[in-house]
Amino acid sequence: MKPLSIGMCTLAILLLAPALRPVQAQKTPADSAVRTFRYDVADEVTITGTVSSVLAVAAPGMMAGSHLLLVTSSGPVDASLGRFGLSAVGSSANDRLTALAGQHVEATGVIRMHKDKPVLLVRTVNADGEVYTLRNEHGVALSPQARKRTAPQTDREGESR
Amino acid sequence: MNRHPYSGILGAALLASTYLAVSFLTGCNSSNFHSPVETIAATSGTPQSAQVNTPFAAPLVATVTMGGSPVSGAFVTFTAPTSGASGTFSNGTNSETDTTNSSGVVMSSPFMANGTLGAVTVTASVAGVIASTNYSLTITSGPAASIAATSGSLQDATINTPFGAPLVATVQDANQYPVSGAVVTFTAPSTGAGGTFAGGANTATTNSSGVATSAVFTANATAGSYTVTAAVSGVSTPASFTLTNVTGALVSITATSGTPQSANVNAAFATPLVATVVDGSMNPVSGALVTFEVPSAGASGTFAGGVNTATTNSSGVATSALFTANGTVGTYTVTATVASGAEPANFVLTNNALNYAFYVSGLEAIDAGPNFYALAGSVSVDGNGNVLGGEQDYNDGIGITSPQPSGDSILPGSGALVVDPATGQGTLTLTTNNTSLGVSGVETLAVQFVNTNHALIAQFDGSATSSGSMDMQTLSSALTDGNYAFTLSGVDPAYSPIVYGGVFSISASGTALAGMIDVDDAGATATPTLGTAFSGSITGPDASGRGTIVSSALPAALNYYVVGPEAIRIIDVDAADSAVGSVFGQGTGTFSSTSLGSSVFAVSSNSLGNLYAAAGQFTVPSAGNFTGVADDNEYDNGTLVTAASIGGTYQIQSTGYGSLTIAPGDLGDVSVLGVYITDPNLNLNDPNNTTTGLGGALIADLDGFNLNGTGVLVPQVPNPSFAGNYAFGTQADNNTRLPTLGWEFDFVGQGSVTGGTLTASGLLSDPFAIFNSTQPDGTDTARFSGTAAADTANPGRYTIRLDITVAADPTYSTVIYQANDGQLFWLDENSNGASVFLGSLQQQGSLAALPAAPSGSRPKP
Repeated sequence: MKPLSIGMCTLAILLLAPALRPVQAQKTPADSAVRTFRYDVADEVTITGTVSSVLAVAAPGMMAGSHLLLVTSSGPVDASLGRFGLSAVGSSANDRLTALAGQHVEATGVIRMHKDKPVLLVRTVNADGEVYTLRNEHGVALSPQARKRTAPQTDREGESR
Repeated sequence: MNRHPYSGILGAALLASTYLAVSFLTGCNSSNFHSPVETIAATSGTPQSAQVNTPFAAPLVATVTMGGSPVSGAFVTFTAPTSGASGTFSNGTNSETDTTNSSGVVMSSPFMANGTLGAVTVTASVAGVIASTNYSLTITSGPAASIAATSGSLQDATINTPFGAPLVATVQDANQYPVSGAVVTFTAPSTGAGGTFAGGANTATTNSSGVATSAVFTANATAGSYTVTAAVSGVSTPASFTLTNVTGALVSITATSGTPQSANVNAAFATPLVATVVDGSMNPVSGALVTFEVPSAGASGTFAGGVNTATTNSSGVATSALFTANGTVGTYTVTATVASGAEPANFVLTNNALNYAFYVSGLEAIDAGPNFYALAGSVSVDGNGNVLGGEQDYNDGIGITSPQPSGDSILPGSGALVVDPATGQGTLTLTTNNTSLGVSGVETLAVQFVNTNHALIAQFDGSATSSGSMDMQTLSSALTDGNYAFTLSGVDPAYSPIVYGGVFSISASGTALAGMIDVDDAGATATPTLGTAFSGSITGPDASGRGTIVSSALPAALNYYVVGPEAIRIIDVDAADSAVGSVFGQGTGTFSSTSLGSSVFAVSSNSLGNLYAAAGQFTVPSAGNFTGVADDNEYDNGTLVTAASIGGTYQIQSTGYGSLTIAPGDLGDVSVLGVYITDPNLNLNDPNNTTTGLGGALIADLDGFNLNGTGVLVPQVPNPSFAGNYAFGTQADNNTRLPTLGWEFDFVGQGSVTGGTLTASGLLSDPFAIFNSTQPDGTDTARFSGTAAADTANPGRYTIRLDITVAADPTYSTVIYQANDGQLFWLDENSNGASVFLGSLQQQGSLAALPAAPSGSRPKP
């Protein structure tokens, strides 16, 4: 990761954020009465883009965990994969998300503001037809063990991991 | 040696030839040619004596004659006894053969006495001749060099009556050989309590055993204890006999208090050993000297100041000095004796092993980790740090779960607690029968004692890292009926973070429970679920304080380890999920909103949860409302809130079940806390501490899918001191310097705080190699330093830039909240989002009698 590209991404995603906001559902008063943020699948957006960078570790100032920096038609997007995003589920190399720069991916999640910058909290990533589920429907990051527990018994290409 | 004898006497060549032939064939001797009238007589060298191991002054001399004429060239053999008192000739044996001269005289080589006292008879004989002669020799000791009282001391006698036994002294020479014939002089005090010897004979001569026995000694008319000396010429230090003249008849002694009793190894017994001395009329004997004697090896103990005697008071009572058990476990007898030959009084004492309950949770590096794991158990150690055995339950919920119902055995004899007695820091090695966990079944814990009863611990062997505590157990046969609060944190069957909190009552002699529970399960369809009534059953604790709890509201299989009547550790032991937590008593009272006052709170996720930690303090302007300040580091959410003003409401039911809501947005995503009030007389960090830092509550963060966690809430006292020695333990997560994700590290340590400046050292567990310098085994030592700056706007809150120094120098911006002198919580709030930790600082108390081998063999000093 190069500092220059972080700055560019940040600038671009700030520009992108207003365009995404209409997609989000408004939090109910009941929600806001008990917490400031709640992951809701109703707020999810799906973003298609090309991976510009893969960050195994967050750069300073970013949300903790792994990130994909995506280039979309609307500009760059910081896609947060969470602490376990690039962790292997099993011993096979195929058991982990191995996105590469230049790869075309589809990420689904909810936008959350982090330090006044929008970040896509990625729930699922579709890379080369393989769907990786990184968070559950409540936005809870799934550890490799959790993904293993919740994955289908037969793990074939194209099925969720 | 055979020589040709007497050739001059026999002139005929034929006879000579015949003789030569015969002598060759028979091993010839002159006796073959002398008639039976040949005789031998000792002519000098007898009798005589010599001291042991010295030569006799005169040689042994004999004369051989035949028909009154000297026999020249006769072979004479001198023979001394082969055993007992004897000696050796110059050839080094007890026998030699010499030849008579022309006068028929034969002389032995010098004869050296051996080391045995007694009479020696040496025989001189001519082979083939019946007659022989003896030499009477005596081996004696050297001059007197010492005298000792052999018996007769520590006697009582009624005034004006004889003592039951004579005074016996033994005199020895410099080589400890008894000196016979020495005159021993016995001297009694000339005034006051004393006595006289029969016939005025105050001397006695030692016998062959060096023993001198006095004449009968009779007490005079004055009561009291005194000394009679026994002296011998040439010895400057006399022997002493302690005697007591008592009024009334002969005395008896009984153990009247202090038996039986037990104490933990290395600890003082609660009551002194008390013996009562009475005379034959059952009247108390005052002034009698009582001697307490302890086993010289094995389980035993020592008296304060080494004083093992006591004198009876006017009630005849002798009270020992404070008696402290040594480090060996076992039962033994201490005897109390008094002069007069009375049957000793016996005190039956037992040195008990120490049992510690321990529990940790953290991240496991083995089993394709990092995985969440929990460990709880009980270990028994002696006072020298030797592990005597124990039980434990280990569970990562994904592959390594101790077999049930047995759990893992902690094997005796192969583990040890090794601690620096000055700092309380060291390691505890546990060898288990479960080779899947630890390092081939061996777990090493870093141990930081806060006081003798309580330690902060972390797994410290590279197989996993975790934080928890270890506390001395008070074992019982059943859990105590009453009310309890609890929290539990771990992962659910989907391996999503889950926390439980609630209150329950134990009834039916510790066999049943019923209460109310809150659950926040990030893997559930909806969460949290609050206020669910539940019930269950309990099996009684075993010898390690281990038992089971079964309830549908709790993990499928839950084991517990008793710390004490109001403190229990609980651990989920079914293979599907994992969790660990604590149960604390609530005392006997009921609760309300007034049960909560000014407090400090600290709460965090577990190691596989949505990582965060928060701490703060608040006051209660009115019941049900609070306002304060807090800090929150939500690592996974990328949220950092520092010195935030917080406010909100809370409610507490009469059962101690309640909740506290921080106004949304005041403290990041931390808002909804379950509150479970504990006994106002219980210290939640140190359950054996009954004097300081008392009261509070367990708390559970019930913020639903976003955050869950557990923690404590401790009453805050005004103007606490932050100075002195503190122990600390901390669970941390940190990004690594390597291009991979950071995971957990843990540390325990100890140091001093002076003027707000902490200077400390500790042990750091880092199996995920967060620190560049971490050694391959995942363990390291570290130094900790920083100066706490008080937040003048929020007394009780400090900020401190904490340097943890290993090879590299990570620095943590840390905030501290202080509840009281002894309990503080620190929270990392680095602004770079790369780390989060929450830990406690606890003021160190007495480390006396730590049950550990002295350091010197610490793994990484």
